[in-house]
Formats: sequence, C-alpha cells, structure tokens
Amino acid sequence: MSNRQDRPARQIRGPQSALTDFLASQNISANRIRADAEARRNAAAAANNQGGSNGTANTANGATATGDVDDDNEEEAAEVQVPSAARSRAEAQKRKRQAEAIDKIQKSKAFKRRKRNNEDSDSDDLARAIFQEKSAPLPGQMENCEICDKRFTVTPYSRAGPNGGLLCSKCSKDFAKDDEGVNKLKKKKSGPAGASRRKLQSRILDGMYAVGAKSLMTLCIETLAKNIELASDLGDLPPFLVDRIARILSKRRLLTSQCLDLFLQPNTEDVTVYDGSYLTANDYIRIFQTASRLKNLKLRNAVQFKDEVMMYLISRNLVLHSIHLHGANLLSEDSWNAYLEAKGKTLQSLQVYYTDKHFGNGVVATLKDRCPKLKRLKIAHNQKVTNDGVEHIAKLEGLEHLSLKLLQPKATEPYIKVVQGIGQGLCTLSLKDVPDLDDRVLDAIHEHCRSLSKLRITDSEVMTDAGFARLFKDWANKPLLFVDFQKCRHVDSTKPRENPHMVGLCSDGFRALMKHSGKRLRYLNIHACRHISREAFEEMFSDTEVYPDLLELEISFCENVTDFVVGSIFRSCPKLKELNVFGCMKVKEVRVPKGKILVGVPNAVGMIIEGSDNDSVPQAGMPCTRSDTANDKINGATKQD
Amino acid sequence: MAANGLTLSKYITLISSDGFEFVVMRDAVMISPMIKSMLDPQSAFKEAVSGRCSFDEINGIVLEKVVEYFHYWYKNREREDVPDMDIPVELCLELLMAADYLGLDKQT
Repeated sequence: MSNRQDRPARQIRGPQSALTDFLASQNISANRIRADAEARRNAAAAANNQGGSNGTANTANGATATGDVDDDNEEEAAEVQVPSAARSRAEAQKRKRQAEAIDKIQKSKAFKRRKRNNEDSDSDDLARAIFQEKSAPLPGQMENCEICDKRFTVTPYSRAGPNGGLLCSKCSKDFAKDDEGVNKLKKKKSGPAGASRRKLQSRILDGMYAVGAKSLMTLCIETLAKNIELASDLGDLPPFLVDRIARILSKRRLLTSQCLDLFLQPNTEDVTVYDGSYLTANDYIRIFQTASRLKNLKLRNAVQFKDEVMMYLISRNLVLHSIHLHGANLLSEDSWNAYLEAKGKTLQSLQVYYTDKHFGNGVVATLKDRCPKLKRLKIAHNQKVTNDGVEHIAKLEGLEHLSLKLLQPKATEPYIKVVQGIGQGLCTLSLKDVPDLDDRVLDAIHEHCRSLSKLRITDSEVMTDAGFARLFKDWANKPLLFVDFQKCRHVDSTKPRENPHMVGLCSDGFRALMKHSGKRLRYLNIHACRHISREAFEEMFSDTEVYPDLLELEISFCENVTDFVVGSIFRSCPKLKELNVFGCMKVKEVRVPKGKILVGVPNAVGMIIEGSDNDSVPQAGMPCTRSDTANDKINGATKQD
Repeated sequence: MAANGLTLSKYITLISSDGFEFVVMRDAVMISPMIKSMLDPQSAFKEAVSGRCSFDEINGIVLEKVVEYFHYWYKNREREDVPDMDIPVELCLELLMAADYLGLDKQT
C-alpha cells in the first residue's frame, strides 16, 4: 500500500505540468520497479510459506495447547526473519545485477576510452565509478542532498557532490563557489591551445613575430600602459622609451587628457600623439602652453585641432620644424593660410592627411613663397587639391620627399611638370592611386630623377610594360631601396587575363626593375601585377641571382607564382623576412626556411613559419619545394653548382 | 671564481646597491649587452676578472626582479608564444629604468 503512495502517480494533479509528470512517470527507473516488484513477490511468497506453516502450527496448537507461548514466540521470530531473508535475497540479486552491469561496462567503448586516458587507475574501480554515474538518480526523482540531507527534486542541472551523490540547489551553489578557484586555474592552463594559435598568427600578420620571451622593456611598458592612470610622472625616461609608451597607449586608445600630461615637459622638442581622438581643443592648446621648445609636432586623429588651436599656435612664440596633422578636418583653409604666412619660414616638413576640403590649391600655391625651407611634403587623402595644385608643387625647388594621394581626377601633364621641375633633388616620390597617369611620367622620371631611393606608383591603369622597362633601362639613378608598383595592371572585368597592349608592370618591366635595383632593394611590392610571367620570376630569382638586402617582398595576386618560384625567392634573398603570397593559387606546398615568414598561402592554415627546416639552407642550396616538375629543375640547377 | 679568464665560471654574481648578491647563470645574463660587455674576457674589466658586477643604481628589490627576468628569458629562449612574466605595478617604472640601463630592449 505504502509503495503505491511512494510512486509518483501518472495522473496529472495540481501544479505539476503534464510533461514533468510524464517524464517522472517514465523515469521511475526499471531498476526500482523491478526491485520493488521482486521484494513484494518475495514477501508474498514468504508470507505464503509462513501461512502454510502457521496452519500446521495452528493445528498443532489445538493439539498441544501447552506449547502455545513458545510457538507464538517462534512465530514472531519467523515473521521478523522472513522480510530480512527476502531483503537479503533481493540484495543478492541486486549485487548480481550490479556485477553484470559492471561487466558490461568493462566491455563498452566509453570505458575503454576512459581507461586509455588514465591508465594507472584500477579497471574495476573505474567500471564501478561509471556504474555509479549511470545509476545516479534521474531528473524528476526525489533525492536526499549529500551535504545537508534535505530532500529535493533532481534536475538535469543537479551537481554531483564530493562523494558522488547529488546536491540540492543551495549546497551546489556553495560547492561551486569553493570549487571555482581550482577550476579557474585549470582552465587557464588547458584553455589557450586554440586561442594561442590565433594570437600567434595575428602577431605574424602584425609583423611582431619572435621566438622567445618578450624583452623586459616591452613587459614593463605593457604593464605601465595597463596602469597608466596610476602614473603621475614618467621621470627621466629617454625619448625613445617615451615614444614607445605613447605608441602602446594609443594602440589601446588610452590617451586621454589626463595622461597627455605625462608626455608634456617644458623641454620636450617632439610631441607625438598617435591617437588624439579623445583630446579636446583645450588639450591641444595645453601642448603649446607646456612644451615651449616644441619643434616637431605629430598628431593623428586630431579631430579637435580646430581654428582656435591654430590661432593659439600662431600667437605663441613657437618655431615648428615639422607638422604632421592627421584627420584635422575641422581646420579651415584660412587658418592654414594664416599659419603658413606667420610661421612657414622655418617649416621643413609638412604632412597633411585626411583634411577633407580645407587644404586646397590655394594653400599649395603659396607654399613656394611661404615655406622656402620645405623639404618634405605629403598630402594624403585630400579632396580639394586638383591638377592645378599639383602644378604648383613643381616650383618647390628644395623638396626632397614628395608624397601625394589626391582624390580629384588626375591628368598626366601636371605630374610631368613636377618631375621636370623638382625631380633632380627628389629622394622620395610617392604617387598613390593614379589610374590615369601614363608612360610619360615614367619617361620624365627616367630623364630627370637622379637621387631617388623610394619610388611608389600605385593603381596605374594606363602605364605600360614598355614604359616601366624604359624607366629602369640605363637609368642614371642609383639603385632604389624601396619600390612599390602595386596594382599597376590591366583592368578588364570581362577578359582579365588578356593584355594585348601589355598594360601595367609585366615581365619586361619586372626584369628591368630587378636588374637596375635588385642589388640594393630592401622592399618590393608588386601586389596584383598579374601579368608578370612565370618565366620572368624564374629568371630573376634563378640560382645565380642574389638580392642581398631584400627584406620584404609582396607578390600577392601575381597569378604565375608557383611553389618553385617561392622556393627560388627564398634562395635568392638571404635576408628576406616576410613574403606575402595571398591569392597566388599555384602556391600549394612550400617548405619555408627557418626564420622566414610566408604569409597567405591558400590553404586552411593561411600562413606558415617553419623552424624545422634547418638542413635546407636557403642561400646556396636548393629551393625548398616538393612539386615534381620543380624538383627536376632543381636537379638541373644543382648540377650546375 | 675563475680569475684566469681561461676557465670561465658558469655562474656570476650581481650585487645591488644595498648589498644583496645574486648568483646567476652566466648564459642567462648574456641577454643584457651591458652585462655581457662588462664580463667580456677580452676587455679584462674588474668585473670580468672577478665575475662580480655591482650596480650602484639598482636596488635589491629591482635587481631581484631583473634576475628573475634573466632566468625567465633563459628558460623561454627557444619557445614560441611565451607567457608574459608578471611585473609588479609599483616596480614598473624603476624596472623600466633598469631595463633601459641594462639594454634589455632587443627581442633576441
């Protein structure tokens, strides 16, 4: 009777939901039903036996009334004995079942897997542990909490206690709290396997990859940057250290009005704010108030560098040698004029980025008279300077470094005038995003430039291979150190591979470039110059060619680069640090020599560094590749050695 | 301490301004170009002969951290993705000065 009351009823009653009720009724574990039923059956059988003997005893009772008391006692004893016998039988059966179950577990896959994981533990113990896990109360049942002994309903989220039993919700919360510290430590140790790979790759792409520990200085600076709000003064740190701190702070966008003070000393000559987005106009004014000996000013994201700041700068007795202003798009053209009028005489370097419509032809036109000492001029991302403005640059005779990235449509003639006018003295010529400039500019460079060391012409869609070849052939200029011709290629969306007029930097131009500048070249970018042939690459990076200074090479989206070409590049460039091959779909499987970084291989890994290839010496040995055709060629090459 | 310059001792001693002495592996301190040149057997500085370098500018607490860094660096010199060493915030600036003084700048 009591058994039936114990069992959860199948009918839906009261607030219990239909689902819970159903699950609960389903989840009366078979074990329990069977055990209950068996116990009942045994009890009944025992009772029957007892009843039989009782009957005989009763008949005997009638015969021998004297032994009544004794018999009664006996009966009581039997009644006590019978349930215990049934129980022991049930228990024996239970034990047998358990043994069977454990046996089964020992044969199961999960058991074998676990056993492999912890070899040393006893297999019987392990099997018993699994069995106990399996026979733990299922959700919906009632159970006594292991710690506080309160009765509670088991849910799928019930936690196991320290001795394997289940815990009620309150005890499990407390238990979790105690357990937390231990768990955290464990997580820290085991967690970062995947994360560290991503971090590592991100560091490779940032060019920060290094083996071994960080330098103590880096560690200190990072700690300092984390706790910059605690610092009140940087003390007498050397300027380059202060600069590094400034960089790292800006990288984390931590440069606020408060910590700007750390970088402002009355005797500072250079103020560099790499990220001024949190600074207000008053902060900029404060720079000029504090640093009275300021010479070089570099501000990036200086949105609040407004007219009032410029007016203040004009009013102060400061003599700036260089201004580098990035993103000051609230500054009007009038202030620029006023400043250059007042202080332009000493200015040697003027770099203006992202000033939208407020730095126009008028300002450029006056540079010649107002800034006679100007050596470096950079105007980037400017929407107002047009071809007329560019023509004015041709008159800036002292200029050594010129860099332009203008958004207005460009014509060839003004640029030719610039090169004719000041090409003689230029060390740097950078013309970004110039789709309409043609070969005549290249010819002018060939004719006039004699001291260039950095040349950048990007996105040209009209310059031809012949033009590039003419530029480098017998050029009286010394070898270039830095060359960037990215995206100088033929653009046709319907027939991208056909290039009948040899537009862009193609094979001949590339050969001429490497012949002229290869010996001293440090940085080469021919990103997306897709018509350079495989033969040209193989010829220029053959085993006889060595480019001793080349550090960085970007050949992404050059379609004809193969595994063999990449291997040859590693052989020909002993100092090479990084090679970019994004979109070179013929690069499949290259072995990268130790210490070199190959970025952008079209596979799941994306980038490779290998430290294991010590034996494949990159210089004189063979290029590291596995493709068969290439191997044939290598064999040919090594035979010549 | 090996004084004859032929057999260099495997360990050297660093002495802080307040008299604490730290015995450090010679290979581990080679990360610092400053100490390296002090101990260069060719130069025959006093430090190179005796194997003892004293730093009057660096106190014991900071030097202890520096020594800890030497060993941390030595232990991790061949490994990739090294966990960062803990720098106590209050020592940060002093340690930075010491690192600058000892030339612990390069990533080698």
